Amino acid sequence: MLVHSDEGAKVAASQYGARKVADLSELLRECDVVDVCTPTYTHHKIVLAAAAAGRHVICEKPLSHLRHEAVEMIEACAAAGVQLHPGHVVRYFPEYTAAKAAVDAGRIGAPAVLRFTRRGARPQRSWFAESAKSGGILIDQMIHDFDFARWVAGDVVQVYASVVGSAPGPTIGIAVLTHNSGALTHLVGGWGQAKEDFRTSFSIAGAHGLLRHSSAEAQSLSWSIPGAGPTCGELIPFGPLGSSPFVAELAEFLASCAGGPTPRVTAADSLAALEIAIAATRSAATGLPVRLEDGVA
Amino acid sequence: MRRLRVGIASFAHVHASGYASLLRDRTDVELVTTDPDAATAPTDELRGASLARQLGVRLLPSYEAMFAEGLDAVLVCTENSRHREIVEQAAAAGVHVLCEKPLATRLDDAEAMLRACAQANVILMVAYPVRFHPGYRAMREAMQRGDLGRVLAITGTNNGQAPLASRRWFLDPELAGGGALMDHTVHLADLLDDLLNASPQQVYAQVNRVVHAEEVSVETGGLIVMTYADGTISTIDCSWSAPASYPSWGGLTLTVEGDRGSSRLDAFAENIEVFDDRTGGLRWDAVGVNLDALMLDEFLMCVRSGRAAQPDGAVGYRTLQVVLAAYESASSGQPVPIEGTKT
Repeated sequence: MLVHSDEGAKVAASQYGARKVADLSELLRECDVVDVCTPTYTHHKIVLAAAAAGRHVICEKPLSHLRHEAVEMIEACAAAGVQLHPGHVVRYFPEYTAAKAAVDAGRIGAPAVLRFTRRGARPQRSWFAESAKSGGILIDQMIHDFDFARWVAGDVVQVYASVVGSAPGPTIGIAVLTHNSGALTHLVGGWGQAKEDFRTSFSIAGAHGLLRHSSAEAQSLSWSIPGAGPTCGELIPFGPLGSSPFVAELAEFLASCAGGPTPRVTAADSLAALEIAIAATRSAATGLPVRLEDGVA
Repeated sequence: MRRLRVGIASFAHVHASGYASLLRDRTDVELVTTDPDAATAPTDELRGASLARQLGVRLLPSYEAMFAEGLDAVLVCTENSRHREIVEQAAAAGVHVLCEKPLATRLDDAEAMLRACAQANVILMVAYPVRFHPGYRAMREAMQRGDLGRVLAITGTNNGQAPLASRRWFLDPELAGGGALMDHTVHLADLLDDLLNASPQQVYAQVNRVVHAEEVSVETGGLIVMTYADGTISTIDCSWSAPASYPSWGGLTLTVEGDRGSSRLDAFAENIEVFDDRTGGLRWDAVGVNLDALMLDEFLMCVRSGRAAQPDGAVGYRTLQVVLAAYESASSGQPVPIEGTKT
């Protein structure tokens, strides 16, 4: 494992037994697969460089906050014959994987009304707060659930959304999706107070059944120690103990890079989720619903 | 790496088919099974050749035939009171043992099993999978670090549905050794033994048969209170009190109260809720780690390396002491002292 980063490379390299390299070009020269974990607004430049170097790419979500950049990244990787894997890790959390499997097995019938929540502490790094760099909460954070909702209930035709609140208080994004199948999805995303625990929930109602999960309730271990006790890291929720969705995700991506099967999430899925998130952003700005066919570039 | 030859002795226990599936799918294990007492089970229970066929595992006609295969290790999944004879056969054949809980239903049986395995220098491990729960391990570490301060009390529950639908020998005092108290006390007694590193000095218990009063002859409800030399108190609710409409088989919780803080383990909370009108309501589908898989990992690692395995036969013996003292207390209505201490 090789590491290049403008900050923190030395610590990361020693902590995880990696080698720190001088710059991006040395990294791309020496690696087989590059995992792009930089801020969103820098993805485009780095992924294009990786494609030019002929390296497979794993890229944090969103691919970009701008549709034309994401399209260009996908096209560049395809033209270079390298794979591009977007880090939509929610698809790898066991509770979400189990929900998708239950729907696919017909245990609740056709999805009817879906609800998702996701909130935690406001990200500390300043670029998240700048919409021109991160896209804001709808594109940066809620894209996780946009992607999952689309995975379960299919393509989305209309979006209505709004964003309320600002730092230092919580920022709350709310969106309603209309799926092509007729299913409806309600989503809430929150960037809350510092030290707020990360938590997620979903309920998926179908024609003859219902799926529910709440990370706050479905925890096997809880603590009550005044002024102390382990809490979730910034932006990183606890999944079921003893398993890592991040490891599962990387294993599937790396197996694919080695010639294995196509992972459960593709760059095309990521683009579709981005289109929903951009439509939501436009709706939040105008106060009007946005049709996906209307074009969102 | 050489494949380990592992046997499953009997499909009597409900956990046998789960172990068989896990071992069948491991590339480092060659699995053989036997279920010679299948014919003694009620005809509507899936046992013997039918179960082996459904699982896709090799079935041999007798324990003798199974041990003649030159096993490295055996999982003893017979009825509780029949553990001893199989463990003694395994020890005589030099085969390492993972024994279902409770280790035995009588202390003299448990003693004989410990002696046989010690003399043969084979592992005797007891199937207490909750020990391997990552949440339990984190709780134990925090407790040992002193995060919770001095431990004052630990309360545990291991409630489940009564075994009415399958494996009805659990309701037979001869084969099972009792009812809910024998079935559901030992997991928590083991965790308490591990957390407190001590045996209780005294045990008080009450039992009843309100749930399923018409259908069974054994106790279905039970509460146990244990006191320790340093004043710590622990309790266990071992009742088969989960109703038939409960969304899963049951569960296990453990709450540690310290003088600086508390911590609660809900070992089977990691699930999603599934309501399905076609099958009659709510089910909880587990999404957490498979504790049996973690336990088998540890057992097979110990078999390969010759390292001592925990939970061992000694804690199996101590937890049986708690159960038998609890029966005595429930019968007399008085607290009962426990002989001997943890060594």
